Amino acid sequence: MSAGVYSEWLKIRTTRGWYAYLTVTILLVGVAVAGDVGSSDDERRSSLDFQLGLVDAAGFASLLAVILGITIVTTEFRHGTITPTLLAEPQRELVVAAKAVAAVLVSLLFALIGLAIVAAVGLPWLSIVDAEVHLDGDVGTRALQVLLVTVLWGLIGVAVGVLVQSQIAALVGTLIWIFLAENLLIGVLGLLDIDGAAPYLPFQALDAADGNGGDELLSYWPGVGVSLAWTALLGLVGTERLRRRDIT
Amino acid sequence: MIEVENLSKRFGKTEAVAGLSFRVEPGTITGFLGPNGAGKSTTLRSILGLVHPDSGRTVVLGVPYRQLDRPLHRVGAVLEASEVHPGRSGRNHLRVLAAAAGLPRSRVEEVLALVELSAAAKRRVKGYSLGMRQRLGLAAALLGDPEVLVLDEPANGLDPAGIRWLRDLLRALAAQGRTILVSSHVLAEVAQTVDRVVIIHRGRLIQQAAMAEVLAGAQGATRVRSPDEARLRESLAREGFALSEADGVLLVEAAPERVGELAAANGIVLHELGVERATLEEVFLELTGGETTE
Repeated sequence: MSAGVYSEWLKIRTTRGWYAYLTVTILLVGVAVAGDVGSSDDERRSSLDFQLGLVDAAGFASLLAVILGITIVTTEFRHGTITPTLLAEPQRELVVAAKAVAAVLVSLLFALIGLAIVAAVGLPWLSIVDAEVHLDGDVGTRALQVLLVTVLWGLIGVAVGVLVQSQIAALVGTLIWIFLAENLLIGVLGLLDIDGAAPYLPFQALDAADGNGGDELLSYWPGVGVSLAWTALLGLVGTERLRRRDIT
Repeated sequence: MIEVENLSKRFGKTEAVAGLSFRVEPGTITGFLGPNGAGKSTTLRSILGLVHPDSGRTVVLGVPYRQLDRPLHRVGAVLEASEVHPGRSGRNHLRVLAAAAGLPRSRVEEVLALVELSAAAKRRVKGYSLGMRQRLGLAAALLGDPEVLVLDEPANGLDPAGIRWLRDLLRALAAQGRTILVSSHVLAEVAQTVDRVVIIHRGRLIQQAAMAEVLAGAQGATRVRSPDEARLRESLAREGFALSEADGVLLVEAAPERVGELAAANGIVLHELGVERATLEEVFLELTGGETTE
Protein backbone atom coordinates (compact mmCIF):
# COMPACT_ATOMS: atom_id res chain seq x y z
CA MET A 1 0.00 0.00 0.00
CA SER A 2 2.77 2.45 0.92
CA ALA A 3 4.49 1.53 -2.35
CA GLY A 4 1.27 2.43 -4.15
CA VAL A 5 1.03 5.79 -2.38
CA TYR A 6 4.67 6.60 -3.12
CA SER A 7 4.10 5.69 -6.76
CA GLU A 8 1.06 8.01 -6.89
CA TRP A 9 3.09 10.82 -5.32
CA LEU A 10 5.78 10.34 -7.97
CA LYS A 11 3.12 10.43 -10.70
CA ILE A 12 1.86 13.77 -9.39
CA ARG A 13 5.33 15.25 -8.98
CA THR A 14 6.68 14.20 -12.37
CA THR A 15 4.17 16.10 -14.51
CA ARG A 16 4.00 19.80 -15.19
CA GLY A 17 0.39 20.14 -14.09
CA TRP A 18 1.54 19.81 -10.51
CA TYR A 19 3.79 22.88 -10.75
CA ALA A 20 0.99 24.82 -12.44
CA TYR A 21 -1.38 23.96 -9.56
CA LEU A 22 1.24 25.02 -7.01
CA THR A 23 1.86 28.31 -8.79
CA VAL A 24 -1.85 29.05 -9.11
CA THR A 25 -2.41 28.28 -5.41
CA ILE A 26 0.38 30.63 -4.38
CA LEU A 27 -0.79 33.40 -6.72
CA LEU A 28 -4.50 33.15 -5.84
CA VAL A 29 -3.90 33.14 -2.09
CA GLY A 30 -1.23 35.84 -2.27
CA VAL A 31 -3.33 38.18 -4.40
CA ALA A 32 -6.44 37.61 -2.26
CA VAL A 33 -4.62 38.37 1.00
CA ALA A 34 -2.85 41.41 -0.42
CA GLY A 35 -6.13 42.68 -1.88
CA ASP A 36 -7.99 42.22 1.40
CA VAL A 37 -5.36 43.90 3.55
CA GLY A 38 -4.72 46.68 1.03
CA SER A 39 -8.36 47.59 0.57
CA SER A 40 -9.34 47.67 4.26
CA ASP A 41 -9.03 50.47 6.81
CA ASP A 42 -7.05 50.20 10.04
CA GLU A 43 -10.04 49.49 12.25
CA ARG A 44 -11.21 46.63 10.07
CA ARG A 45 -7.69 45.22 9.76
CA SER A 46 -7.57 44.79 13.53
CA SER A 47 -10.85 42.87 13.74
CA LEU A 48 -10.93 39.13 14.34
CA ASP A 49 -13.51 38.67 11.56
CA PHE A 50 -11.19 40.26 9.05
CA GLN A 51 -8.26 38.13 10.10
CA LEU A 52 -10.36 34.97 9.96
CA GLY A 53 -11.25 36.06 6.42
CA LEU A 54 -7.54 36.24 5.60
CA VAL A 55 -7.10 32.65 6.78
CA ASP A 56 -10.08 31.71 4.59
CA ALA A 57 -8.12 32.95 1.58
CA ALA A 58 -5.95 29.85 1.98
CA GLY A 59 -9.13 27.98 1.08
CA PHE A 60 -8.33 28.64 -2.59
CA ALA A 61 -6.21 25.54 -2.11
CA SER A 62 -9.43 23.49 -2.04
CA LEU A 63 -10.23 24.50 -5.62
CA LEU A 64 -6.84 23.19 -6.73
CA ALA A 65 -7.29 20.14 -4.51
CA VAL A 66 -10.52 19.10 -6.23
CA ILE A 67 -8.95 19.58 -9.68
CA LEU A 68 -5.92 17.57 -8.60
CA GLY A 69 -8.15 14.89 -7.07
CA ILE A 70 -10.04 14.52 -10.34
CA THR A 71 -6.96 14.56 -12.55
CA ILE A 72 -4.89 12.02 -10.61
CA VAL A 73 -7.56 9.50 -11.54
CA THR A 74 -8.69 10.67 -14.97
CA THR A 75 -5.25 11.33 -16.42
CA GLU A 76 -4.66 7.56 -16.21
CA PHE A 77 -7.58 6.95 -18.56
CA ARG A 78 -6.72 9.88 -20.78
CA HIS A 79 -3.18 8.68 -21.44
CA GLY A 80 -3.82 4.97 -21.05
CA THR A 81 -1.43 4.73 -18.10
CA ILE A 82 -4.18 2.89 -16.23
CA THR A 83 -2.86 -0.24 -18.00
CA PRO A 84 0.64 -0.21 -16.45
CA THR A 85 -0.86 0.99 -13.16
CA LEU A 86 -3.21 -2.02 -13.01
CA LEU A 87 -0.47 -4.41 -14.14
CA ALA A 88 1.56 -3.29 -11.12
CA GLU A 89 -1.45 -3.45 -8.76
CA PRO A 90 -4.25 -5.60 -10.17
CA GLN A 91 -6.46 -5.07 -7.09
CA ARG A 92 -8.25 -2.04 -8.45
CA GLU A 93 -9.73 -0.95 -5.12
CA LEU A 94 -6.18 -0.70 -3.77
CA VAL A 95 -5.26 1.61 -6.64
CA VAL A 96 -8.20 3.85 -5.72
CA ALA A 97 -7.19 3.73 -2.05
CA ALA A 98 -3.60 4.71 -2.88
CA LYS A 99 -4.85 7.63 -4.96
CA ALA A 100 -7.15 8.74 -2.12
CA VAL A 101 -4.27 8.71 0.37
CA ALA A 102 -2.03 10.59 -2.08
CA ALA A 103 -4.82 13.14 -2.63
CA VAL A 104 -5.15 13.67 1.15
CA LEU A 105 -1.41 14.28 1.49
CA VAL A 106 -1.17 16.62 -1.49
CA SER A 107 -4.32 18.50 -0.42
CA LEU A 108 -2.77 19.00 3.01
CA LEU A 109 0.39 20.25 1.33
CA PHE A 110 -1.59 22.73 -0.80
CA ALA A 111 -3.50 23.98 2.24
CA LEU A 112 -0.29 24.35 4.27
CA ILE A 113 1.30 26.30 1.43
CA GLY A 114 -1.85 28.46 1.27
CA LEU A 115 -1.65 29.13 5.01
CA ALA A 116 2.06 29.88 4.73
CA ILE A 117 1.30 32.47 2.02
CA VAL A 118 -1.41 34.00 4.21
CA ALA A 119 1.10 34.28 7.05
CA ALA A 120 3.94 35.49 4.82
CA VAL A 121 1.86 38.23 3.19
CA GLY A 122 -0.59 39.05 5.98
CA LEU A 123 1.55 39.08 9.14
CA PRO A 124 4.28 41.54 8.04
CA TRP A 125 1.72 43.83 6.42
CA LEU A 126 -0.53 43.88 9.49
CA SER A 127 2.42 44.59 11.75
CA ILE A 128 3.69 47.37 9.51
CA VAL A 129 0.31 49.13 9.74
CA ASP A 130 0.27 48.46 13.49
CA ALA A 131 -2.90 46.36 13.40
CA GLU A 132 -3.72 44.21 16.40
CA VAL A 133 -3.05 40.58 15.35
CA HIS A 134 -5.31 37.89 16.83
CA LEU A 135 -3.11 34.84 16.80
CA ASP A 136 -5.38 33.14 19.28
CA GLY A 137 -7.54 30.02 19.33
CA ASP A 138 -10.07 31.22 16.76
CA VAL A 139 -7.52 31.85 14.06
CA GLY A 140 -5.82 28.55 14.83
CA THR A 141 -9.14 26.70 14.65
CA ARG A 142 -9.96 28.31 11.31
CA ALA A 143 -6.55 27.28 9.98
CA LEU A 144 -7.27 23.66 10.97
CA GLN A 145 -10.67 23.94 9.31
CA VAL A 146 -8.97 25.11 6.11
CA LEU A 147 -6.71 22.06 6.23
CA LEU A 148 -9.67 19.71 6.72
CA VAL A 149 -11.91 21.25 4.07
CA THR A 150 -9.09 21.17 1.52
CA VAL A 151 -8.69 17.46 2.20
CA LEU A 152 -12.46 16.98 1.77
CA TRP A 153 -12.35 18.73 -1.64
CA GLY A 154 -9.37 16.63 -2.71
CA LEU A 155 -11.16 13.43 -1.70
CA ILE A 156 -14.42 14.28 -3.46
CA GLY A 157 -12.29 15.04 -6.53
CA VAL A 158 -10.87 11.49 -6.44
CA ALA A 159 -14.39 10.09 -5.98
CA VAL A 160 -15.74 12.06 -8.95
CA GLY A 161 -12.71 11.06 -11.03
CA VAL A 162 -13.19 7.34 -10.30
CA LEU A 163 -16.90 7.61 -11.04
CA VAL A 164 -16.69 9.59 -14.28
CA GLN A 165 -13.24 8.42 -15.54
CA SER A 166 -13.29 10.76 -18.55
CA GLN A 167 -11.09 13.77 -17.75
CA ILE A 168 -12.97 16.45 -19.66
CA ALA A 169 -16.38 15.20 -18.50
CA ALA A 170 -15.25 15.05 -14.88
CA LEU A 171 -13.66 18.53 -14.82
CA VAL A 172 -16.35 20.32 -16.84
CA GLY A 173 -19.13 18.36 -15.15
CA THR A 174 -17.85 19.29 -11.70
CA LEU A 175 -17.62 23.00 -12.59
CA ILE A 176 -21.12 22.93 -14.09
CA TRP A 177 -22.41 21.09 -11.04
CA ILE A 178 -20.85 23.55 -8.58
CA PHE A 179 -21.77 26.75 -10.36
CA LEU A 180 -25.01 25.84 -12.11
CA ALA A 181 -26.61 22.47 -11.53
CA GLU A 182 -26.61 22.56 -7.75
CA ASN A 183 -28.12 26.06 -7.69
CA LEU A 184 -30.83 24.94 -10.13
CA LEU A 185 -31.48 21.92 -7.90
CA ILE A 186 -31.83 24.19 -4.88
CA GLY A 187 -34.42 26.16 -6.87
CA VAL A 188 -36.27 22.99 -7.83
CA LEU A 189 -36.21 21.76 -4.23
CA GLY A 190 -37.70 25.13 -3.23
CA LEU A 191 -40.48 24.80 -5.80
CA LEU A 192 -41.22 21.31 -4.52
CA ASP A 193 -41.37 22.75 -1.00
CA ILE A 194 -38.55 20.50 0.22
CA ASP A 195 -35.84 23.15 0.46
CA GLY A 196 -34.84 21.55 3.76
CA ALA A 197 -32.96 19.02 1.62
CA ALA A 198 -30.83 21.69 -0.10
CA PRO A 199 -28.07 21.87 2.56
CA TYR A 200 -27.47 18.17 2.08
CA LEU A 201 -26.38 18.61 -1.55
CA PRO A 202 -22.68 17.78 -1.87
CA PHE A 203 -21.19 21.20 -2.44
CA GLN A 204 -23.58 22.87 0.00
CA ALA A 205 -22.27 20.43 2.59
CA LEU A 206 -18.67 21.22 1.58
CA ASP A 207 -19.54 24.92 1.86
CA ALA A 208 -20.70 24.29 5.42
CA ALA A 209 -17.46 22.44 6.12
CA ASP A 210 -15.26 25.50 5.52
CA GLY A 211 -16.05 26.72 9.05
CA ASN A 212 -17.38 30.04 7.76
CA GLY A 213 -21.02 29.25 8.54
CA GLY A 214 -23.99 30.44 6.51
CA ASP A 215 -27.72 30.84 6.99
CA GLU A 216 -28.78 28.24 4.46
CA LEU A 217 -26.09 25.72 5.39
CA LEU A 218 -25.64 22.84 7.77
CA SER A 219 -23.56 23.56 10.85
CA TYR A 220 -19.88 22.62 10.81
CA TRP A 221 -19.60 18.97 11.84
CA PRO A 222 -22.79 17.84 10.06
CA GLY A 223 -21.36 19.58 7.00
CA VAL A 224 -18.14 17.59 7.31
CA GLY A 225 -20.11 14.38 7.83
CA VAL A 226 -22.41 14.88 4.83
CA SER A 227 -19.41 15.78 2.62
CA LEU A 228 -17.70 12.56 3.63
CA ALA A 229 -20.88 10.59 3.03
CA TRP A 230 -21.15 11.96 -0.53
CA THR A 231 -17.47 11.20 -1.14
CA ALA A 232 -17.94 7.65 0.13
CA LEU A 233 -21.04 7.11 -2.00
CA LEU A 234 -19.49 8.47 -5.23
CA GLY A 235 -16.21 6.72 -4.48
CA LEU A 236 -17.76 3.32 -3.82
CA VAL A 237 -19.97 3.43 -6.91
CA GLY A 238 -16.96 4.62 -8.93
CA THR A 239 -14.68 1.89 -7.54
CA GLU A 240 -17.26 -0.76 -8.42
CA ARG A 241 -17.46 0.73 -11.91
CA LEU A 242 -13.68 0.57 -12.23
CA ARG A 243 -13.59 -3.01 -10.95
CA ARG A 244 -15.99 -4.09 -13.68
CA ARG A 245 -14.46 -2.06 -16.47
CA ASP A 246 -12.55 -3.77 -19.28
CA ILE A 247 -9.27 -1.95 -19.82
CA THR A 248 -8.84 -2.20 -23.59
CA MET B 1 2.85 -21.48 -17.39
CA ILE B 2 0.16 -19.55 -19.26
CA GLU B 3 -3.13 -21.35 -19.75
CA VAL B 4 -6.15 -20.07 -21.62
CA GLU B 5 -9.21 -22.24 -21.12
CA ASN B 6 -12.33 -21.84 -23.19
CA LEU B 7 -12.01 -18.07 -23.20
CA SER B 8 -14.89 -16.08 -24.67
CA LYS B 9 -15.39 -12.33 -24.78
CA ARG B 10 -17.84 -10.12 -26.62
CA PHE B 11 -17.73 -6.36 -26.97
CA GLY B 12 -21.29 -5.40 -27.83
CA LYS B 13 -22.09 -7.22 -31.05
CA THR B 14 -18.48 -8.07 -31.78
CA GLU B 15 -17.35 -11.52 -30.77
CA ALA B 16 -13.71 -10.84 -29.99
CA VAL B 17 -12.74 -14.26 -28.61
CA ALA B 18 -14.87 -17.42 -28.92
CA GLY B 19 -14.01 -20.49 -26.88
CA LEU B 20 -10.24 -20.13 -27.22
CA SER B 21 -7.95 -22.58 -25.43
CA PHE B 22 -4.18 -22.91 -25.59
CA ARG B 23 -1.15 -23.36 -23.37
CA VAL B 24 2.24 -21.73 -23.32
CA GLU B 25 4.87 -24.10 -21.99
CA PRO B 26 7.60 -22.92 -19.60
CA GLY B 27 10.86 -21.83 -21.16
CA THR B 28 9.54 -21.43 -24.69
CA ILE B 29 8.96 -18.47 -26.98
CA THR B 30 5.49 -18.79 -28.37
CA GLY B 31 4.27 -16.70 -31.27
CA PHE B 32 0.64 -15.65 -30.93
CA LEU B 33 -0.48 -15.03 -34.47
CA GLY B 34 -3.54 -13.90 -36.31
CA PRO B 35 -4.68 -11.15 -38.63
CA ASN B 36 -5.59 -7.76 -37.20
CA GLY B 37 -8.83 -8.07 -35.28
CA ALA B 38 -8.41 -11.80 -34.63
CA GLY B 39 -8.73 -11.31 -30.87
CA LYS B 40 -5.04 -11.33 -29.91
CA SER B 41 -5.07 -8.18 -27.78
CA THR B 42 -8.31 -9.15 -26.05
CA THR B 43 -6.79 -12.53 -25.17
CA LEU B 44 -3.55 -11.00 -23.89
CA ARG B 45 -5.47 -8.42 -21.85
CA SER B 46 -7.60 -11.21 -20.37
CA ILE B 47 -4.45 -13.09 -19.38
CA LEU B 48 -3.25 -9.93 -17.63
CA GLY B 49 -6.49 -9.37 -15.71
CA LEU B 50 -7.36 -6.18 -17.60
CA VAL B 51 -10.35 -7.59 -19.49
CA HIS B 52 -13.06 -9.65 -17.79
CA PRO B 53 -13.89 -12.75 -19.86
CA ASP B 54 -17.57 -13.54 -20.43
CA SER B 55 -16.69 -17.17 -19.81
CA GLY B 56 -13.62 -19.35 -19.49
CA ARG B 57 -10.49 -18.47 -17.57
CA THR B 58 -6.85 -17.56 -17.86
CA VAL B 59 -4.05 -18.63 -15.57
CA VAL B 60 -0.48 -17.34 -15.30
CA LEU B 61 2.06 -19.20 -13.17
CA GLY B 62 -0.74 -21.25 -11.66
CA VAL B 63 -3.18 -18.50 -10.67
CA PRO B 64 -5.29 -15.80 -12.30
CA TYR B 65 -3.12 -12.68 -12.81
CA ARG B 66 -5.05 -10.73 -10.18
CA GLN B 67 -4.05 -13.21 -7.51
CA LEU B 68 -0.32 -12.92 -8.24
CA ASP B 69 1.69 -11.59 -5.35
CA ARG B 70 3.95 -8.73 -6.56
CA PRO B 71 2.91 -9.28 -10.20
CA LEU B 72 5.65 -7.15 -11.83
CA HIS B 73 8.22 -9.51 -10.31
CA ARG B 74 6.55 -12.49 -11.96
CA VAL B 75 5.09 -11.25 -15.27
CA GLY B 76 6.22 -8.42 -17.54
CA ALA B 77 3.98 -7.07 -20.29
CA VAL B 78 4.26 -4.72 -23.24
CA LEU B 79 0.87 -3.72 -24.59
CA GLU B 80 0.32 -0.52 -26.54
CA ALA B 81 3.38 1.66 -26.82
CA SER B 82 1.26 4.77 -26.30
CA GLU B 83 0.30 4.00 -22.71
CA VAL B 84 2.69 6.55 -21.23
CA HIS B 85 2.04 10.08 -19.95
CA PRO B 86 3.52 12.26 -22.72
CA GLY B 87 4.71 14.90 -20.28
CA ARG B 88 6.72 12.50 -18.15
CA SER B 89 10.32 11.61 -18.96
CA GLY B 90 11.15 8.03 -19.82
CA ARG B 91 13.12 7.69 -16.60
CA ASN B 92 10.27 9.05 -14.48
CA HIS B 93 7.76 6.74 -16.19
CA LEU B 94 9.91 3.82 -15.07
CA ARG B 95 10.47 5.29 -11.61
CA VAL B 96 6.70 5.45 -11.08
CA LEU B 97 6.35 1.77 -11.98
CA ALA B 98 9.43 0.76 -9.98
CA ALA B 99 7.97 2.53 -6.95
CA ALA B 100 4.66 0.69 -7.35
CA ALA B 101 6.53 -2.62 -7.53
CA GLY B 102 8.78 -1.79 -4.60
CA LEU B 103 11.91 -1.85 -6.77
CA PRO B 104 14.97 0.33 -6.19
CA ARG B 105 15.83 3.28 -8.42
CA SER B 106 19.01 1.55 -9.54
CA ARG B 107 16.87 -1.03 -11.34
CA VAL B 108 15.43 1.77 -13.50
CA GLU B 109 18.92 2.65 -14.73
CA GLU B 110 19.65 -1.02 -15.41
CA VAL B 111 16.64 -1.54 -17.66
CA LEU B 112 17.22 1.81 -19.39
CA ALA B 113 20.70 0.59 -20.29
CA LEU B 114 19.37 -2.81 -21.35
CA VAL B 115 17.00 -1.27 -23.93
CA GLU B 116 19.64 1.33 -24.93
CA LEU B 117 17.52 4.27 -23.84
CA SER B 118 19.81 5.79 -21.19
CA ALA B 119 20.76 8.75 -23.37
CA ALA B 120 17.12 9.73 -23.90
CA ALA B 121 15.96 8.97 -20.34
CA LYS B 122 15.72 12.62 -19.34
CA ARG B 123 13.58 13.61 -22.32
CA ARG B 124 9.82 13.77 -22.14
CA VAL B 125 8.12 10.82 -23.80
CA LYS B 126 6.19 13.22 -26.05
CA GLY B 127 9.37 13.57 -28.13
CA TYR B 128 10.05 9.84 -28.42
CA SER B 129 9.74 7.99 -31.71
CA LEU B 130 7.44 4.96 -31.84
CA GLY B 131 10.50 2.73 -31.71
CA MET B 132 11.75 4.48 -28.55
CA ARG B 133 8.33 4.05 -26.96
CA GLN B 134 8.44 0.35 -27.74
CA ARG B 135 11.84 0.16 -26.04
CA LEU B 136 10.47 2.06 -23.05
CA GLY B 137 7.59 -0.43 -22.89
CA LEU B 138 10.09 -3.31 -22.93
CA ALA B 139 12.11 -1.62 -20.19
CA ALA B 140 8.95 -1.38 -18.08
CA ALA B 141 8.18 -5.05 -18.68
CA LEU B 142 11.69 -6.06 -17.61
CA LEU B 143 11.77 -3.92 -14.44
CA GLY B 144 10.83 -6.74 -12.10
CA ASP B 145 13.08 -9.31 -13.84
CA PRO B 146 9.98 -11.45 -14.49
CA GLU B 147 10.01 -15.10 -15.55
CA VAL B 148 7.10 -14.58 -17.93
CA LEU B 149 6.87 -11.93 -20.66
CA VAL B 150 3.72 -11.07 -22.60
CA LEU B 151 4.32 -8.81 -25.59
CA ASP B 152 1.61 -7.45 -27.87
CA GLU B 153 2.95 -6.58 -31.33
CA PRO B 154 6.31 -5.35 -29.97
CA ALA B 155 7.71 -4.98 -33.48
CA ASN B 156 5.09 -2.40 -34.50
CA GLY B 157 6.76 0.85 -35.41
CA LEU B 158 10.27 -0.59 -35.34
CA ASP B 159 12.50 -0.15 -38.36
CA PRO B 160 14.35 -3.22 -39.72
CA ALA B 161 17.32 -2.56 -37.44
CA GLY B 162 14.92 -2.26 -34.50
CA ILE B 163 13.23 -5.52 -35.40
CA ARG B 164 16.58 -7.28 -35.51
CA TRP B 165 17.49 -5.73 -32.14
CA LEU B 166 14.17 -6.94 -30.70
CA ARG B 167 14.69 -10.42 -32.09
CA ASP B 168 18.15 -10.64 -30.52
CA LEU B 169 16.82 -9.35 -27.20
CA LEU B 170 13.96 -11.87 -27.15
CA ARG B 171 16.35 -14.69 -27.95
CA ALA B 172 18.67 -13.59 -25.16
CA LEU B 173 15.76 -13.38 -22.73
CA ALA B 174 14.51 -16.82 -23.74
CA ALA B 175 18.01 -18.24 -23.38
CA GLN B 176 17.83 -17.15 -19.72
CA GLY B 177 14.92 -19.56 -19.36
CA ARG B 178 12.07 -17.07 -19.50
CA THR B 179 8.71 -17.90 -20.98
CA ILE B 180 7.66 -15.47 -23.71
CA LEU B 181 4.33 -15.04 -25.45
CA VAL B 182 4.65 -12.58 -28.31
CA SER B 183 1.84 -11.58 -30.64
CA SER B 184 2.15 -10.51 -34.23
CA HIS B 185 0.03 -10.26 -37.35
CA VAL B 186 3.04 -11.08 -39.51
CA LEU B 187 4.26 -14.68 -39.29
CA ALA B 188 7.58 -13.97 -40.97
CA GLU B 189 8.35 -11.37 -38.32
CA VAL B 190 8.49 -13.95 -35.55
CA ALA B 191 9.28 -17.09 -37.58
CA GLN B 192 12.99 -16.92 -36.79
CA THR B 193 12.44 -16.23 -33.11
CA VAL B 194 9.67 -18.47 -31.83
CA ASP B 195 9.66 -22.15 -30.87
CA ARG B 196 5.94 -22.61 -31.08
CA VAL B 197 3.00 -20.83 -32.62
CA VAL B 198 -0.61 -20.37 -31.62
CA ILE B 199 -2.58 -19.16 -34.62
CA ILE B 200 -6.04 -17.69 -34.12
CA HIS B 201 -8.62 -16.23 -36.43
CA ARG B 202 -11.95 -14.64 -35.54
CA GLY B 203 -11.34 -15.44 -31.91
CA ARG B 204 -10.90 -19.16 -32.53
CA LEU B 205 -7.86 -21.42 -32.45
CA ILE B 206 -6.65 -22.38 -35.93
CA GLN B 207 -3.42 -24.14 -35.07
CA GLN B 208 -1.18 -24.72 -32.11
CA ALA B 209 2.08 -26.30 -33.17
CA ALA B 210 5.84 -26.23 -33.07
CA MET B 211 7.33 -23.74 -35.53
CA ALA B 212 9.09 -26.64 -37.26
CA GLU B 213 5.71 -28.20 -38.09
CA VAL B 214 4.45 -24.99 -39.58
CA LEU B 215 7.61 -24.71 -41.65
CA ALA B 216 7.09 -28.30 -42.81
CA GLY B 217 3.59 -27.31 -43.84
CA ALA B 218 5.16 -24.60 -45.92
CA GLN B 219 6.57 -27.32 -48.18
CA GLY B 220 4.20 -26.90 -51.07
CA ALA B 221 4.66 -28.80 -54.32
CA THR B 222 7.35 -30.46 -56.36
CA ARG B 223 8.37 -28.61 -59.49
CA VAL B 224 9.14 -30.83 -62.43
CA ARG B 225 9.91 -30.24 -66.13
CA SER B 226 10.28 -32.92 -68.77
CA PRO B 227 10.55 -33.05 -72.60
CA ASP B 228 8.15 -36.00 -72.38
CA GLU B 229 5.49 -34.20 -70.45
CA ALA B 230 2.52 -36.24 -71.69
CA ARG B 231 3.95 -39.53 -70.36
CA LEU B 232 5.02 -37.90 -67.10
CA ARG B 233 1.52 -36.56 -66.57
CA GLU B 234 0.08 -39.97 -67.31
CA SER B 235 2.27 -41.82 -64.83
CA LEU B 236 1.77 -39.18 -62.12
CA ALA B 237 -1.99 -39.31 -62.63
CA ARG B 238 -1.88 -43.13 -62.41
CA GLU B 239 -0.31 -42.77 -58.92
CA GLY B 240 -3.10 -40.40 -57.97
CA PHE B 241 -0.94 -37.28 -57.48
CA ALA B 242 -2.73 -33.99 -58.01
CA LEU B 243 -0.91 -31.77 -60.46
CA SER B 244 -1.18 -28.42 -62.11
CA GLU B 245 0.78 -26.62 -64.77
CA ALA B 246 2.36 -23.20 -64.73
CA ASP B 247 4.73 -21.73 -67.35
CA GLY B 248 5.55 -25.11 -68.86
CA VAL B 249 6.36 -26.57 -65.44
CA LEU B 250 4.32 -29.23 -63.67
CA LEU B 251 3.56 -28.69 -59.99
CA VAL B 252 2.96 -32.02 -58.28
CA GLU B 253 1.61 -32.47 -54.80
CA ALA B 254 4.10 -35.11 -53.80
CA ALA B 255 7.61 -35.23 -52.42
CA PRO B 256 10.37 -34.70 -55.05
CA GLU B 257 11.82 -38.11 -54.12
CA ARG B 258 8.57 -39.83 -55.18
CA VAL B 259 8.39 -37.90 -58.45
CA GLY B 260 12.01 -38.68 -59.28
CA GLU B 261 11.57 -42.38 -58.53
CA LEU B 262 8.46 -42.54 -60.65
CA ALA B 263 10.19 -40.86 -63.60
CA ALA B 264 13.16 -43.26 -63.34
CA ALA B 265 10.91 -46.30 -63.12
CA ASN B 266 9.18 -45.23 -66.33
CA GLY B 267 12.34 -44.11 -68.09
CA ILE B 268 11.21 -40.52 -68.42
CA VAL B 269 13.87 -37.84 -68.89
CA LEU B 270 13.63 -34.93 -66.46
CA HIS B 271 15.10 -31.48 -67.15
CA GLU B 272 14.22 -30.06 -63.78
CA LEU B 273 13.16 -31.39 -60.42
CA GLY B 274 12.82 -29.20 -57.34
CA VAL B 275 10.80 -28.02 -54.40
CA GLU B 276 8.33 -25.19 -54.82
CA ARG B 277 8.15 -23.73 -51.33
CA ALA B 278 5.10 -21.76 -50.35
CA THR B 279 6.12 -18.65 -48.46
CA LEU B 280 5.31 -18.36 -44.79
CA GLU B 281 2.83 -15.66 -45.61
CA GLU B 282 1.03 -18.00 -48.01
CA VAL B 283 0.83 -20.65 -45.29
CA PHE B 284 -0.43 -18.07 -42.84
CA LEU B 285 -3.02 -16.73 -45.26
CA GLU B 286 -4.14 -20.24 -46.06
CA LEU B 287 -4.54 -21.11 -42.38
CA THR B 288 -6.49 -17.98 -41.68
CA GLY B 289 -8.68 -18.26 -44.74
CA GLY B 290 -6.82 -15.58 -46.66
CA GLU B 291 -8.88 -12.81 -45.15
CA THR B 292 -8.52 -10.21 -42.48
CA THR B 293 -11.31 -8.66 -40.50
CA GLU B 294 -10.11 -5.16 -41.20
